[in-house]
Amino acid sequence: MGAAAIELTDVRKVYRKNRIEIPVLEGLDLRIESGTFVVLMGPSGSGKSTLLHLIGGLDQPTSGRVRVGDYHLEEMTERELTTWRSRHVGFIFQMYHLVPVLTAAQNVELPLLLFRMSAAERRERVRTALSVVGLEDRMDHRPNQLSGGQEQRVAIARAIVTDPEVILADEPTGDLDAQTSEGILNLLNLLNTDFGKTILMVTHDPKAAAHGQRTLHLDKGVLERDTMHAPRAAAAASVN
Amino acid sequence: MALPFSYHWRNLLVRKTTTGLNILVVAAVVGVFCWLIGFAGALHSSLATASDSRKLIVLKSGATSESNSAIRTDEYNKLNQIAEVERLPGSGAPLISPEMIVQVQLPRVRDQGTTRANVGVRGVTETALQVHRNIKVLGRSFAPGAQEVIAGVSAAKQFGGLEIGETIHLGYASDRPYRIVGYFSAAGGPLESEIWGYLPSLMNAYNRAMYSSASMLLQPGAAAEPVITQINGPAIQLKAQTEAQYWSEQAKNIRIYLNITYVLVAIMSLAAIFSIANTMFSSVAGRTREIAMLRTIGFSGVQILTGFLLEAVMLSLLGAVMGCLGCAAWLATVGRTKDMFGATTFTSLAFEIQLTPMIILAALGCVALVGAVGALFPAWRAARVQVVTALREA
Repeated sequence: MGAAAIELTDVRKVYRKNRIEIPVLEGLDLRIESGTFVVLMGPSGSGKSTLLHLIGGLDQPTSGRVRVGDYHLEEMTERELTTWRSRHVGFIFQMYHLVPVLTAAQNVELPLLLFRMSAAERRERVRTALSVVGLEDRMDHRPNQLSGGQEQRVAIARAIVTDPEVILADEPTGDLDAQTSEGILNLLNLLNTDFGKTILMVTHDPKAAAHGQRTLHLDKGVLERDTMHAPRAAAAASVN
Repeated sequence: MALPFSYHWRNLLVRKTTTGLNILVVAAVVGVFCWLIGFAGALHSSLATASDSRKLIVLKSGATSESNSAIRTDEYNKLNQIAEVERLPGSGAPLISPEMIVQVQLPRVRDQGTTRANVGVRGVTETALQVHRNIKVLGRSFAPGAQEVIAGVSAAKQFGGLEIGETIHLGYASDRPYRIVGYFSAAGGPLESEIWGYLPSLMNAYNRAMYSSASMLLQPGAAAEPVITQINGPAIQLKAQTEAQYWSEQAKNIRIYLNITYVLVAIMSLAAIFSIANTMFSSVAGRTREIAMLRTIGFSGVQILTGFLLEAVMLSLLGAVMGCLGCAAWLATVGRTKDMFGATTFTSLAFEIQLTPMIILAALGCVALVGAVGALFPAWRAARVQVVTALREA
């Protein structure tokens, strides 16, 4: 067993709405090894996105501990979490969330603006990230000039441009057709196998889940099943 | 590092209609602001240049201006006893200028003579040029006893019929018109809006036996206050004021006009603030997911707030540039000279409105502030977007 990239200990998350407590996660214990591709599945309201948000430092647990790398997120302030996110986590969203008025290159560059870095170095990093996702020839295109799959690739380039240890993907293929989804999933496989990224992906699609090495099934805030798969061959990770 | 400039610029461009409307609102405020400040500055500098600290204006006790003042010769003669008055070397004659002011209606040049305005006609003696030290005669002055007058450069510019060689009818001497023989300047002061002629001739033309006022030049270093007390006192019983006090009182109604305009500009600025606030609110509402994404990837609330403030300031500054250009175009088209009535003389006082770099800088500064104030609450709201909630709504 490798070093744990992510470790959750007895994590509870309760939302309060009109004085009513809604438990979302119930004493979750989880350990994700560094460099694994983990798929998170479960019905709506099972706590998948909440778990992703806790690991991504976007939300704090009601109780319990969340460690990512050397950082205990439950002990950090909002400001510390903001800085931590910019350096250690890459986010991929279902709806891409690209800035429509910026080009692909400018969208990818956004996280780098938070680093002390020369413009030349930023440009170089952006070019590298876009070439990893196979879009170096679309650098100057705006989101409305790209297909859905290309937009998601730009979003992936934005997520990896800072070279984070962990990538969190919330239904990254939820808005794409089967063929395009396959390309995106292969790309995630590539990031996992060739670049050693720890990936945690939420999905409803069993076919997408097959790309991971481990599948966690959540239901009503409880980890119901934890299944290990044979790792997919890196050769399958065609990015085109 | 903040969000890139192009991000804000393009966000303004994609909202063409609201951006355009905001620019128009701000441009209107800035245009009026520039004109107003230019006018206030012209008024201030005109009155400042008109004010000679060594000069006193003497009126009839109880009079508020030269036009409702009448000084008898015996009253005027009492002024000669004042020791602090400057005297001519040699003759020792006191530098006191007896003067009479009347009005004549002349057609305005700016509307091709459709409307007419009152222009002050001042009867003076040779002493006047030594008492009013900022007067410079351009060309020839009127000859004592001749039917001649000289026109102030500002009056000549604003009113028709004041070209050299032209004649005007003054008083009851309609069969003997006065010829314009020269111009005079008064360092931009209000006297430049007048016509000057020889005092005895004009008194005769208007059938006057009394002076309107007397202007006197004090010796260098002489304090004005004791002299004013002496003139206002029982021995002389006239009313003396420093020149600064006199012109300040004459410009009172112009100041009221300016104050009303200041209030209007303040109201317009409020409208601009609300307009910008409204635009920024809708901009924030339309970009909630974008803001949530930016917060997710590590931009802080302060950076988001600063970004939205910057966007509003950019929007305002675009309007400000348009407003300054509009004001400059207006002044170039309509002319920089603005004439207004004095509070009590009912004669026209003209001012040259200047759109100076300082005014433009002040306008840009004020407008940047208006933009920032308008965007403050929407920007604060943007900075406090609940990231998790916004991402879920996506």
